[in-house]
Amino acid sequence: MSIRIALAGNPNSGKTTMFNALTGSSERVGNWAGVTVDSKQSLVKKRYTNGLDVVAVDLPGAYSMSAYTSEESITSTYVRENNPDVIINIVDSTNLSRSLFFTTQLLELGVPVVVALNKVDVNEKKQTIIDIPQLSRLLNCPVVETISTVSKGLELLISTAVSLLGTKKTSPYEQASMDGEDKDAMIEADKDRFDFVNDIVRRVETKRPRIDNNLQDKIDAILTNRWVGIPIFALVMFLVFGISQAWLGPWLADLLAGWLEAGQSLVADALAGSSGQLDIWSSILVDGIIGGLIAVVGFLPLVMVMYFLIALLEDCGYMSRASVILDPIFKKVGLSGKSIIPFIIGTGCAVPGVMACRTIRDDKERKATAMLTPFMPCGAKLPVIALFAGVFFGDSPWVGTIMYFVGIAIIILGALLVKLITGVKNKKSYFIIELPEYKSPSLLGACKSMLSRGWAYIVKAGTVILVCNFVVHLMQTFDWSFQVVGEGAESTSILATIASPIAYIIAPFIGVVAWQMAAATVTGFIAKENLVGTLAVCYGVTNFINVDDMILESGASEVAAIFAITKVAGLAFLAFNLFSPPCFAAIGAMSAEIKDKRWFWAGIGMQFSIGYAVAFLIYFVGTLITGGVFGEIWMPILGWIILLGIVAVYTILILKNRVKKVG
Amino acid sequence: MGEIIAILLIVGIVGGAIYYIVRAKKKGVKCIGCPDSTNCKSANCQHCTCHHEEDK
Repeated sequence: MSIRIALAGNPNSGKTTMFNALTGSSERVGNWAGVTVDSKQSLVKKRYTNGLDVVAVDLPGAYSMSAYTSEESITSTYVRENNPDVIINIVDSTNLSRSLFFTTQLLELGVPVVVALNKVDVNEKKQTIIDIPQLSRLLNCPVVETISTVSKGLELLISTAVSLLGTKKTSPYEQASMDGEDKDAMIEADKDRFDFVNDIVRRVETKRPRIDNNLQDKIDAILTNRWVGIPIFALVMFLVFGISQAWLGPWLADLLAGWLEAGQSLVADALAGSSGQLDIWSSILVDGIIGGLIAVVGFLPLVMVMYFLIALLEDCGYMSRASVILDPIFKKVGLSGKSIIPFIIGTGCAVPGVMACRTIRDDKERKATAMLTPFMPCGAKLPVIALFAGVFFGDSPWVGTIMYFVGIAIIILGALLVKLITGVKNKKSYFIIELPEYKSPSLLGACKSMLSRGWAYIVKAGTVILVCNFVVHLMQTFDWSFQVVGEGAESTSILATIASPIAYIIAPFIGVVAWQMAAATVTGFIAKENLVGTLAVCYGVTNFINVDDMILESGASEVAAIFAITKVAGLAFLAFNLFSPPCFAAIGAMSAEIKDKRWFWAGIGMQFSIGYAVAFLIYFVGTLITGGVFGEIWMPILGWIILLGIVAVYTILILKNRVKKVG
Repeated sequence: MGEIIAILLIVGIVGGAIYYIVRAKKKGVKCIGCPDSTNCKSANCQHCTCHHEEDK
């Protein structure tokens, strides 16, 4: 039988980092509170357990056993009802008084507790000394020093936890019984507990006197300044995109693309034999499966560099500041300050971003946040951004940066629409987030995050995208009578006939009827990276990265000849695919978190309509400015009809709400 | 001969990919190959408490 150890502690105390170090898992960690919203369990590595079967359970952060949020409820329910054999209470040694409040509550449960005094390295730097034997005596439980980022003290921690099995210790603080409904009594009880905890802290902790307005405060005054903060955030994002998609990323991608293409040629030569011609199935394998895969995997270095940089930003403590900068803006449009966390997590992947919405207590704010989170361009959309930035705009970092800020602007606009339609009143709410201290980011941690996300990208490319590319190539190769489509008759293929009706709908913002673009948009709903693979397969261009390739060397005019769209149309098409509904997995997560059919379908409708409106406006205004032509006459007319229809629907919904209010 | 090898390779590669997808879905993986999104979303998953909480 295995021993179950629960890892519990305050948010951002390092629980998931410790869980990953103990179990070898790669769960998401972040230098801010609220990253973990579910419990996770995994076997602890044998080298820590002396051969015993020990299961570690990572619980979401909680400040107390009284559940104020859903993730606190998960923690308190697990600890109370699932009877773990031992609790490891991870205590942030840099914030002892706040952490020990929860510790004293855990000690009252009667379950053996070991305190893991974490982040002791930060304390050493700050010259803060904690008398550990004294702390252990006062808490009446073992205390072990740990640094979870470098796996220090974990072996001793686990052996101490195992040695406590079956023991029972008395709690140093016992809560007097009281009426759970009496708020004043509860506040008084909390005050008493804080007094007890502060007394312990006074006796065990020796701190170097704090100099007011130290360097951290000075940096914060600039980075979180309401006027300077946003331009700094824009500059930071520009640098992230510049390094990942213009300077370092393409160089690495070029190397990788070269190797992959060499492998593709090798397979093609082997299959072609002496004739030098590929038969139909060999062509499906070489151009459809391998070619489509190369087109997507070719972007891997760009994506990995981006993930590395984002991990560094998260770890050094900057991303928490970014949420503080955006908080006042989001509050003005009726969102919770807490909405920022799902938006930031959504830049990695919309699925965990949407799931993080459950930390928001207000029902309407939670639903609105869940429907707006997918507007943040996620990691899966990075290759799409990189493709269009590379092909049409000479790898300019502005494209990605602008798309992120357009995403934020759309979230604000969407929130405003939700507010006007549902009539949610602005409530006085406070966004309290603990700003972690600045620290030099861990390169090892950033590398681990990059590799784990890079591996996820490869897994998706080798499974979902590979199967999709195969199906797309098959549908493009055959017509409805399962005859191979001849040259010049591509529009009779199964794929072309299915995608054509959609091609007419998207024609107003790309200026041409291109079934290839329509097919790419549709496969993008399975996974956004599919867009790149499908375009590669449909247009027969498998390498979008290689600078030796004629595409990037000869600029936008050559690409226009292949894609048959203008630069402005390329930008509009990109915007539509970034801001229309996300992939099916994220749509499923939206449905699960919103738990209301009307809100869910309204969210999907909003994503379609905003995506379409933004794309059409980019194309229309851009074409007017650049003096281009709008394609056939019916295209702008259809575009305006759809746009005015969208405006009319939202106007009616807003007016309906006004009438309801007046009534 | 080249055609047979190509068909066998396609069956192997695509079959392997489909097998992986089906297995992952059965395990309750919400989004295959998405970073940090392997958390439980299925009602009968035994490895997390999120949905059991909702049921309560």
